[in-house]
Amino acid sequence: MVKLTLIARVTDGLPLAEGLDDGRDVPDSDYYKQQVKALFKNLSRGQNEASRMSIETGPYIFHYIIEGRVCYLTMCDRAYPKKLAFQYLEDLKNEFERVYLNQIETAARPYAFIKFDTFIQKTKKLYQDTRTQRNIAKLNDELYEVHQIMTRNVQEVLGVGEKLDQVSQMSSRLTSESRIYADKAKDLNRQALIRKWAPVAVVLGVVFLLFWVRNKFW
Amino acid sequence: MATENPNRPNYPLRPAATPFAAPQSTTPFGSMVGSEASAFRPPPPASSQSMTPPFPSGPFVGSEAPPFRPPPPGRSNELVRPPPPPSSSSSYGPPTAGFQRFPTPPLPSTGQVGPPRASLAGQPVIPPPTRPPGGPVSFLSQTQPASIPIGSPPQSIKTGQPNPNFPPPADQPFSAPRPNVQPSSPPMGPSYATARGNFQPAFPGYVNTQANSAAQAPYMQPASFPLQQGGYAPPAPPAPFLAQQRGYASGPPTTASSGLHFGNQMQHYGVGPPVGNSQGLAEDFSSLSLGSVPGSFDTGLDVASLPRPLDGDVEPTSFAEMYPLNCNPSFLRLTTSGLPNSQSLASKWHLPLGAVVCPLAEAPVGEEVPVVNFATTGIVRCRRCRTYVNPYVTFTDNGRKWRCNICSLLNDVQSDYFAHVDASGRRVDLDQRPELTKGSVEFIAPAEYMVRPPMPPLYFFLIDVSISAVKSGMLEVMAQTIKSCLDNLPGYPRTQIGFITYDSTIHFYNMKSSLMQPQMMVVSDLDDIFVPLPDDLLVNLSESRNVVEAFLDSLPLMFQDNMNVESAFGPALKAAFMVMSQLGGKMLIFQNTLPSLGVGRLRLRGDDIKVYGTDKEHTLRVPEDPFYKQMAADFTKYQIAVNVYAFSDKYTDIASLGTLAKYTGGQVYYYPSFQSSIHKDKLRHELARDLTRETAWEAVMRIRCGKGVRFTSYHGNFMLRSTDLLALPAVDCDKAYAAQLSLEETLLTTQTVYFQVALLYTSSSGERRIRVHTAAAPVVAELGEMYRLADTGAIVSLFSRLAIEKTLSYKLEDARNAIQLRIVKALREYRNLFSVQHRLSGRMIYPESLKFLPLYGLALFKSTPLRGGYADAQLDERCAAGYTMMALPVKKLLKLLYPNLVRVDDSLVKTGEFDNITKRLPLTAESLDTRGLYIFDNGFRFVVWFGRLISPDIARNLIGEDFGGDYSKVTLTPRDNEQSRKLMKILNKFRESDPSYFQLCHIVRQGEQPREGFFLLTNLIEDQIGGANGYADWILQLHRQVQQNA
Repeated sequence: MVKLTLIARVTDGLPLAEGLDDGRDVPDSDYYKQQVKALFKNLSRGQNEASRMSIETGPYIFHYIIEGRVCYLTMCDRAYPKKLAFQYLEDLKNEFERVYLNQIETAARPYAFIKFDTFIQKTKKLYQDTRTQRNIAKLNDELYEVHQIMTRNVQEVLGVGEKLDQVSQMSSRLTSESRIYADKAKDLNRQALIRKWAPVAVVLGVVFLLFWVRNKFW
Repeated sequence: MATENPNRPNYPLRPAATPFAAPQSTTPFGSMVGSEASAFRPPPPASSQSMTPPFPSGPFVGSEAPPFRPPPPGRSNELVRPPPPPSSSSSYGPPTAGFQRFPTPPLPSTGQVGPPRASLAGQPVIPPPTRPPGGPVSFLSQTQPASIPIGSPPQSIKTGQPNPNFPPPADQPFSAPRPNVQPSSPPMGPSYATARGNFQPAFPGYVNTQANSAAQAPYMQPASFPLQQGGYAPPAPPAPFLAQQRGYASGPPTTASSGLHFGNQMQHYGVGPPVGNSQGLAEDFSSLSLGSVPGSFDTGLDVASLPRPLDGDVEPTSFAEMYPLNCNPSFLRLTTSGLPNSQSLASKWHLPLGAVVCPLAEAPVGEEVPVVNFATTGIVRCRRCRTYVNPYVTFTDNGRKWRCNICSLLNDVQSDYFAHVDASGRRVDLDQRPELTKGSVEFIAPAEYMVRPPMPPLYFFLIDVSISAVKSGMLEVMAQTIKSCLDNLPGYPRTQIGFITYDSTIHFYNMKSSLMQPQMMVVSDLDDIFVPLPDDLLVNLSESRNVVEAFLDSLPLMFQDNMNVESAFGPALKAAFMVMSQLGGKMLIFQNTLPSLGVGRLRLRGDDIKVYGTDKEHTLRVPEDPFYKQMAADFTKYQIAVNVYAFSDKYTDIASLGTLAKYTGGQVYYYPSFQSSIHKDKLRHELARDLTRETAWEAVMRIRCGKGVRFTSYHGNFMLRSTDLLALPAVDCDKAYAAQLSLEETLLTTQTVYFQVALLYTSSSGERRIRVHTAAAPVVAELGEMYRLADTGAIVSLFSRLAIEKTLSYKLEDARNAIQLRIVKALREYRNLFSVQHRLSGRMIYPESLKFLPLYGLALFKSTPLRGGYADAQLDERCAAGYTMMALPVKKLLKLLYPNLVRVDDSLVKTGEFDNITKRLPLTAESLDTRGLYIFDNGFRFVVWFGRLISPDIARNLIGEDFGGDYSKVTLTPRDNEQSRKLMKILNKFRESDPSYFQLCHIVRQGEQPREGFFLLTNLIEDQIGGANGYADWILQLHRQVQQNA
């Protein structure tokens, strides 16, 4: 069953449309929407991602396709057939491109094509029940192959960026810490020197003072 | 000059639009333009002496006449000194006075007050800067002379004249009086008067006069000079501008020269600089002669001369002129445009200090709010206070930084918003940036401003189908109206729609698009409400159009035999909430009876006459069951706005039902004893308007204001989400909100305070937008200034809201007394400003700007929510009117308080067009001529009043043959004759001018009781009705109270 549907522009992650009253029976839909947004952000950074992918998250799974710099994403139950989910996305894509193809690049505000939600709504209902004749036919359709589509975990996907960030952070921390270490080493060196020679110097000083005093007054 | 610079940042900079922005900082003269706000600041005495220019120099034409680039101050000194101040100033000082004085209504008293006023007029130099109508003009013109001797040849003056304010017409009349003036001899007085008279039309003459005066300078009498110094010597607070000093300095000489009989006042002025201000005000006030002896009031009052707002609401123009970049007053009105600079001053201002905001008001034609899209930049806002970029921000550092006008933080300009700044401080791309030139703009909100995708417009109908709803015909009218509006609902193709009906059970309707007929599901378990179907109770209108139409067609038939008298309103409300909570939207409730089943059931409680006059009285006006407030809070949380339509002829407890509308930004429509034959048009029009007007969804509003002031309380229909965030599930052009201000700091150091109203909303087309209105207001140090800049409309609006809120916790009488007390205190404070200077014991004085305040106060006391006691208005009517008045914009409120009364029989008989029937009459029975035909229009209903002796022809033509019969049965229908058509045309014209409600036409014949009394006589607010005062008595009462302890 389809839970969420979002359409966004890949170049800048701008949301273009979203299914209406989605996530009604998803308890923490906000959390998953956040994940979707992070995902879009990752995509817009130009990380090389496959044009079709499934990403597992909790009890659900995201499916998306990227076509013509637009990403169509849906969230389903894990049990929902992958094949149907991708066909659903294909349907959305075909209709979206038919209606808005030449406006996609010029869209300047978020949800510029929010009117598309009525179509999303309608299509979603068609895919709601996996046991309808129509959907069973689609499932049996050998022409549409989904086995090649990679499945990954959401932590992994979202983690890529994070990990890179972490590495660069660590390395920068390393350089700054090594610099501090060098400074400290120098400082220690000097202190050791002082500690080593200070008593001698003091003793010598006292001796010379005595000599000087003796010469002066005696 | 060096001393100037430190002050520079303090100038209330007129935003870059005026070409003078730059000069302000460089030359003292230029700075005057911007300094209006601060102009009343007393100048430092020392410099005032040394710098005194001979002419009453105010800032000169500033923006309008750039050629007068002010000369360097140094030079001005030497040049300026020699010419004698008095002659020049006297030469045109008085005219100024004349000009300023004339606008004040010529009250009978003028004659008496005349001489002293004239004397004041002699020194108008200071006041002009702050004067609203003539303000900028006269102010500017005065500076001009200063610049003339300094170097700009007189010719240049003429080049400056082309501006509209100074049309070239020379004023020879002027020069005539001038010679007389110099000798400063008694005859001068009269001559002035003539000068003034001539002058008024030819005000522009100034420029020439000045030129002349320059020539005459030598005549000046040096003697007057010391005098002036004396007058000004008293130490004064640090002066912001040299420029003003000039203005000030030149003032006294004028008086000196203008006449011996002013001597007293001169001394007066010597007391301290601020006095100069009050002089200016003196010209402003109006007074009413109430009889010479304080004991014999009753004789001296001329009723006809009392001020009446017969021209309707007049928006204060001064404000707009001083700050041309402000948003239109229809969006934001301050109760006074001059904000007090200290708490002690604020405490002397007994009227409310605050603003009335109508964020979505219909913009005047030609001033549509421009839409700005910062697609890539992101919206430019202040880092600290989150103010949106507006015309009053200043760009510095070559355009790389901008200074927030509200918190004065220096922000970086993002690289893609960068533009170079030219020499005068304007951005070069100013003309492509509406947000920097217009007081009102709309920004397209980026994704950060959305919690969820923009919601579609959603209308949900909750319809009572019990027996009374069917019998009154409400159901049929409503169904027809909704059906006819389906095409016009905003937001096609996303619009969602849904219905629930209820009597003792709740009926849901499945409107799935694939169905032919809607399926009805009945839930009779009222204790544990559930929604029988997850989807399809709320459907997309464009898809399920056929089903919806089929439903609306069959709805009246389905229930035509329903005998159920119960109403399970509470459970139905809960069910509707469950259906809507996913999306939010607008819920329209059609309620016919008192809710009698399930949660939220209400009791009959309005009939208890014994409660009136006791401390428990107010409990009738507050919701009985906390359930309603709780539901309202939930509704707001889920972006649901509730509009309540109530129809019952019996008590329905509007006080409780209305709570739903009050906290969700909705509205209450009340049709007592609804009968479809009578009220059909009204319901149809108002429901249609409710459904089709442009609505803003899921909105929040915040008003920001400058440092030192803070909005403390808000009044209107909304829910407060945090201390200053108003949650408004739905807003439209018919809703206004009021807020009260308070000063946070004991002393305001800034000279201008800025206000910014920001409304974040989703438009019906699914765009998220931010509407921003920005306005600036000067800070003043004088109570008189505050009075002068007061706005009666906004004050009355705030008063009415405060009074209505007070009725919810106190007795009606307490609410009325509280307002009356504040009016009295305000007038007394004003009186104290002047009682020393003028012998006014027998007159009532009030500021010109507040001349209608007493009348509106009286009207407010006689308005439905506040009038009388138990018997004077039905409890439901009272509450419904209260909820309505809490949301009304200023103009409509004023019309409701002081309705239009127009005589039309003449124009009906006359042939030809009738454009001139707009002459409004005072609302008193004396205006009604027994031979006349009158229309009374308060924005909510028309009353057509037939005089007893009206010509039978007219009566027959208008209402047919039975014109002698019972008028309560007669309706005014178009008939096939000239007069009837004309009357219809007139009525329609009135209706078009105020489309937010439908004015149902009631026909009343003179002497037909009790209908005449109910419809018209109680609304003639200037008359004495029941125990309430008439206008004249009211004024006398106010006057008496003002004089007590005065």
